[in-house]
Amino acid sequence: MLTAVLALAGLAIAFGLLLGFASVRFRVESDPVVDKVDAILPQTQCGQCGFAGCRPYAEAIAAGEADINRCPPGGETVIIALADLLGVDAKALDEEVGAEKPKMVAFVDEENCIGCTLCLQACPVDAILGAAKQMHTIIERECTGCELCIEPCPVDCIEMRELPQSPSTWKWPYPQIHTSDDAAKEGP
Amino acid sequence: MESPELIPVEVAYALPEHQTIIGLNVPQGTTVREAVERSGILEQFPEIDPDKNKMGIFGKLAKADASLRAKDRVEIYRPLIADPKEVRKRRAAEGKKMKKGGGDEQAASASTQGAAET
Repeated sequence: MLTAVLALAGLAIAFGLLLGFASVRFRVESDPVVDKVDAILPQTQCGQCGFAGCRPYAEAIAAGEADINRCPPGGETVIIALADLLGVDAKALDEEVGAEKPKMVAFVDEENCIGCTLCLQACPVDAILGAAKQMHTIIERECTGCELCIEPCPVDCIEMRELPQSPSTWKWPYPQIHTSDDAAKEGP
Repeated sequence: MESPELIPVEVAYALPEHQTIIGLNVPQGTTVREAVERSGILEQFPEIDPDKNKMGIFGKLAKADASLRAKDRVEIYRPLIADPKEVRKRRAAEGKKMKKGGGDEQAASASTQGAAET
């Protein structure tokens, strides 16, 4: 009887120490789930999900405060990847946040740009080259198509353009997936 | 003060359809002008005149002898085509709303937005 109690107590202490040591030795600095979710998100920092950027949205998803279907730029690809990572069901994009669009980049109409720098301040990824009273130009490669620069422009000189298709941007078209919602709409 | 340590910087020049960003490592204490000369961007775009084109770092005009910090993006700007006063005048004449700096912009934008929604 006593040996059994002692043996179990000894085991409990041994494992307790082991766990205590492991928690100190292998401490993880930030929540790994947040990093993984953040890696899946497209990093447009566009705020269409209702959060300040991709990282805050990732934190909200990891904390279970936000749904996974609030990222229009990521679209279905991101929703499926997130569902896969978090072990939940994929669902259609939340209509509240907008619809999936082809990748667009902003373009400045040089005839009208007055060099006011308001678009520069709005750009979350520093994709606009310009300064006060100098021509503003969008750096196409860095533009994420978030459209945040359009609204602040006082002369409405920024427009969104679809990226021309080139051998490096061409992709196989996605297969059409019919969800139960579609079937209900098409049904009798 | 001067150390041989190299810092990464970028030199950028943007045309509407084609933008160039050149990454290079320069010694600490390199100035805006030196970075532009070193990057070789002047050979690629002979129209750039470092004495005439204004230069800056990340959207802020900088003097040609300002020294760079790591990861700075040196930008070479082009002059405006339009005269800002003219553009604003034209828009006012056309009755388009003005946002920042356009007088009672808040009321104007609120009313047009309301109209667009209904």
